[in-house]
Amino acid sequence: MKKWKIEGREFDSRLMIGSALYPSPEIMAQSIKASGSEIVTIALRRQSATSLKDGNAFWDIIRELGVTLLPNTAGCHTAKEAVTTAMMAREIFEVDWVKLEVIGNQYNLQPDPFELVKATKILIDEGFRVLPYMTDDLVLAQKLADLGCTTLMPWGSPIGSGRGLMNPYSLKSIRKQFPNLNLIVDAGIGKPSDAIRAMELGFDGVLLNSAVALAQEPIKMAEAFKYAIIAGRLGFEAGAMEKRDMASPSTPTVGTPFWHQI
Amino acid sequence: MKISVNGEIKEFSQESLTIDKILKILEYKRGIAVALNETFIIKTKYSNTVVKDGDRLDILSPIEGG
Repeated sequence: MKKWKIEGREFDSRLMIGSALYPSPEIMAQSIKASGSEIVTIALRRQSATSLKDGNAFWDIIRELGVTLLPNTAGCHTAKEAVTTAMMAREIFEVDWVKLEVIGNQYNLQPDPFELVKATKILIDEGFRVLPYMTDDLVLAQKLADLGCTTLMPWGSPIGSGRGLMNPYSLKSIRKQFPNLNLIVDAGIGKPSDAIRAMELGFDGVLLNSAVALAQEPIKMAEAFKYAIIAGRLGFEAGAMEKRDMASPSTPTVGTPFWHQI
Repeated sequence: MKISVNGEIKEFSQESLTIDKILKILEYKRGIAVALNETFIIKTKYSNTVVKDGDRLDILSPIEGG
């Protein structure tokens, strides 16, 4: 498969994977490797000096993987919190991009579109490349694109729900309206078939975490997603046939033996 | 002075301290980023940013994320 570009960087894999919720750090590392993903999301949290006394074991494992890190602003509920977290992440991880997450509702962890737009503007002015985690709202997509976002990350369904693509119509509309932006389905993916569906809609990539980390066998599921993303993308590029109402035989009818004739 | 460090109240005998002094006293090393009263403080300003009574310091480090 051809390489693709996102935010000025080139990658082979179109799968972006999270680093949370795995049964162990070892399974996390092996799952990330098996997924073939080159972009891994990470976060920042308050930590005591005692817990960091012998270094940060998680951070060491992630660094050893040699992947590109994409910090998130998970847990932020206001633009101010998200901006502060993004700035702290830029300093620690030494990257200029951020998965901007500003949560507006605790029940479904739905992004707050108003605070998201506010934070996006501030961060772009501060020189960030902002990858906004957003609802599948076309008008919101336009506002974010107008601010200068070149990647949009609409949800498939709520974070960690594993419900797949709740609203393919909206996702399709965003794809159609923004043919030149990188579009990533972020959140809600449960099965490899959900990822294939997202890729078949023409999305440029998929970001997931729980679907792999919470699978019965995370490493095997990571590999399944690796192939799902490839299958979905190749399927999209190849272009599917038109649906028909009537059946049409695929085996040639010329030369059919007499006993088949009615 | 009394300040909040990661949500916990800490007491220092000094009336004010710079961020780098506080990090040293608390024995923080590398791999952290700091916000004072919810505003990010760049590393190069640790030595001249003064923390006073009632201030809130947040010290963050990498963890797993989705």
